[in-house]
Amino acid sequence: MMAPFFKYGLFGDEVSLIVAFVTGIGFGFFLERAGFGNARLLAAQFYFRDLRVLKVMFTAIVTAMVGLFVLARIGLVDLSLVYLTPTFLVPQIVGGLILGAGFIVGGYCPGTSCVSAAIGRVDGMVFLAGMIGGLVGFAEIYPHIAAFAHSTPMGQLTLAQLFHIPYGVLVFAVVVMALGAFVAAEWAEMKIGGKQPDAGSLLAPTARLTPVRRFAVALLAIGLVAAFAGNPYRGPFARIDARQLALDAGSPADQVAAGQLADWLIAGRNDFLLVDVRDAAAFAQYHIPAALNVPLANLAADFASRNERIVVYGEGGTAAAQAWMLLRSLGYPAVHLLAGGLEEWKATVLFPKAPAADAPPIEQIEFARRSAMAKYFGGTPQCTGASAPTAPELPKLLPPPAAAPGATPVAQRKKKEGC
Amino acid sequence: MTEFTNFRHNPGLDPAVHVWGWEIPVYLFLGGLVAGLMIIAGVRLMIMRPTARQALVCCTIGPLAGLALLSSGMLALFLDLTNKVNVWRLYLTFEPTSPMSWGSWILLLVYPALLANALTHLPEAIPALAKRVPAFVKISDYILARPRFVVGIGLANIAIGVALGIYTGLLLGTLGARPLWNSAVLGPLFLFSGLSTAAALLHGILVLSTPDNERPEFADFLLSMLTRWSEAKPLDIRIAPTLAQADNSFLTIELALIGLLLIGHLTSTAAHQAAAHLLLNGPYAAVFWVFVIGLGILMPLFLQHLELRHRIRHTIAPSLLVLCGGLVLRFVLVAAGQASHWTTALH
Repeated sequence: MMAPFFKYGLFGDEVSLIVAFVTGIGFGFFLERAGFGNARLLAAQFYFRDLRVLKVMFTAIVTAMVGLFVLARIGLVDLSLVYLTPTFLVPQIVGGLILGAGFIVGGYCPGTSCVSAAIGRVDGMVFLAGMIGGLVGFAEIYPHIAAFAHSTPMGQLTLAQLFHIPYGVLVFAVVVMALGAFVAAEWAEMKIGGKQPDAGSLLAPTARLTPVRRFAVALLAIGLVAAFAGNPYRGPFARIDARQLALDAGSPADQVAAGQLADWLIAGRNDFLLVDVRDAAAFAQYHIPAALNVPLANLAADFASRNERIVVYGEGGTAAAQAWMLLRSLGYPAVHLLAGGLEEWKATVLFPKAPAADAPPIEQIEFARRSAMAKYFGGTPQCTGASAPTAPELPKLLPPPAAAPGATPVAQRKKKEGC
Repeated sequence: MTEFTNFRHNPGLDPAVHVWGWEIPVYLFLGGLVAGLMIIAGVRLMIMRPTARQALVCCTIGPLAGLALLSSGMLALFLDLTNKVNVWRLYLTFEPTSPMSWGSWILLLVYPALLANALTHLPEAIPALAKRVPAFVKISDYILARPRFVVGIGLANIAIGVALGIYTGLLLGTLGARPLWNSAVLGPLFLFSGLSTAAALLHGILVLSTPDNERPEFADFLLSMLTRWSEAKPLDIRIAPTLAQADNSFLTIELALIGLLLIGHLTSTAAHQAAAHLLLNGPYAAVFWVFVIGLGILMPLFLQHLELRHRIRHTIAPSLLVLCGGLVLRFVLVAAGQASHWTTALH
């Protein structure tokens, strides 16, 4: 089984909320047990009296970094599917300074304020209320600062890309930096905070190989191995698992029925990217609402991030099937075909045919549902009595692009992140 | 009507047909809560067999709160009625096959039973009121002087409380048109959910009434104002662990009953299975698992377990969680029930 689980479609939105609840409760519990519900303790790090927060953060960074590297290298996690926040250098520095100032004034960061409020501290509740007010205020003034918020864009950038060093070397460097930070933190606590190092800690005056020191040595060893272990990302010439591809192609799970796609569009789902692989002229004449035009020849141009769920369609089935194969071999794991292509879409969604007058009621009911759907997409249901027109008129497209719902790729939606 | 109920279920085409809004879930929650308060008060009365007035949370505060809560619940029910002026007609007949008819008569019986229970200890709960109206003291003395009368009040409270609790569930359970509700387990489920919320409410009141120097000052100020106005004596807090213990038992039974409800549906027709999947992994799954099961049952079970093992102090956190969980259970079942329908089996 490969991670990330949500992006591979292992569970849907509802279950992801339940998973979020369980991880959230766990996160909050351990933050509280570490003493992070206490504003005094959190603020003490700014005076170098107690650098517990710094140590916890570096532990988290090192664990995640080494863990992800190892899991990706042995093939359990596909790093290209893990979401990375795009870098906007100046706005993010400004935002970080504002957050830091709020941290010093209020004594909490967003996550720890929730912990503090949950265990009944009034200052935590006040901080939480202030945070919600701040969110509302930010949302209100966002249109005026949007230009600044999108300035100095650097894309989804990792340190390894920035410094042009191998990923494994970066892992080693971060491990060394974290261990250095632990030592420096304990030194600062001793010199400035007047706190003697705990027995068995890195700076304790003993030569014994205590558990903490063993852990540090193990981390260093993994980091050293990582430095020579090669790239955890799959390269442009990664091998295709032909057997897996054949299995997927043979199962109906990679197809989306026209009726189902119509349901998704009506429900306003935005967790997938609808891609029209026909040429621009055909696209301009008619396309399914919210579709993005990427002609077959342009598909290799990294038009979407690897972790998008993609539904491709062409006029019939051929072009879309080629696109499916191409995208799968380019490393997009969640590609689906619109079954039957645009022809099927027209036949079942835009111009559904009425059943015979003596058809069972269930078919009549189904036709009534289809008719309502057809009207939603601007089509016309075809009744049996009159002879069906040879070429029913396609719905007029709305003036592009402001009103067309899919003019901008759906992938542009805001992702949530935070501490 | 066929068209209306059969196929217009895509919320983008038609708004979902939700006839019941917030009123019915709120009424079902308050009804269950009052049923629980009645049963607990009745059992406490039967065990104590008091001959003198005492300041007890179960038998003084509980019934008084029950009267107020039931009245708000009845108000919610009344607001939901379309033909409000016709409400008196419910009391012109008794239909043994109609849960509505049973319910309206049970609700009528709840008031005297609760009132008798409340009046027994009222002079102890609100001494300020008893001082101004000496009749309350007389009624209380009259009841306490007759042990058989006390037992009768206790029995009546238990019997009517059980009837009320089960009726709130059966009201939904007898409706065959909605597969999710169509289960007799709903009766005991709402009864035990009501019992757990009642025990939690009483436990929360006890925790609030005990002095605590870590509590914010304004909360202490409000509480002391209330105590000064009513001239109430401090409550007997020795019952707190028993209440927490009882609450844990009720929560465990509630969890088992939810399991039974889902098992019953999952082993039934396709329509019932689809209805169960609304809660298990459908559109109501997140609310159901997080607020009903996670925060409403498992978390308070864990917290109260720690309280009973003397690992943490008694706080109002589990009470609030159980009360919210009980309310959300009613909301989720009423909403998901209205979303469940027989035609899912056809598609």
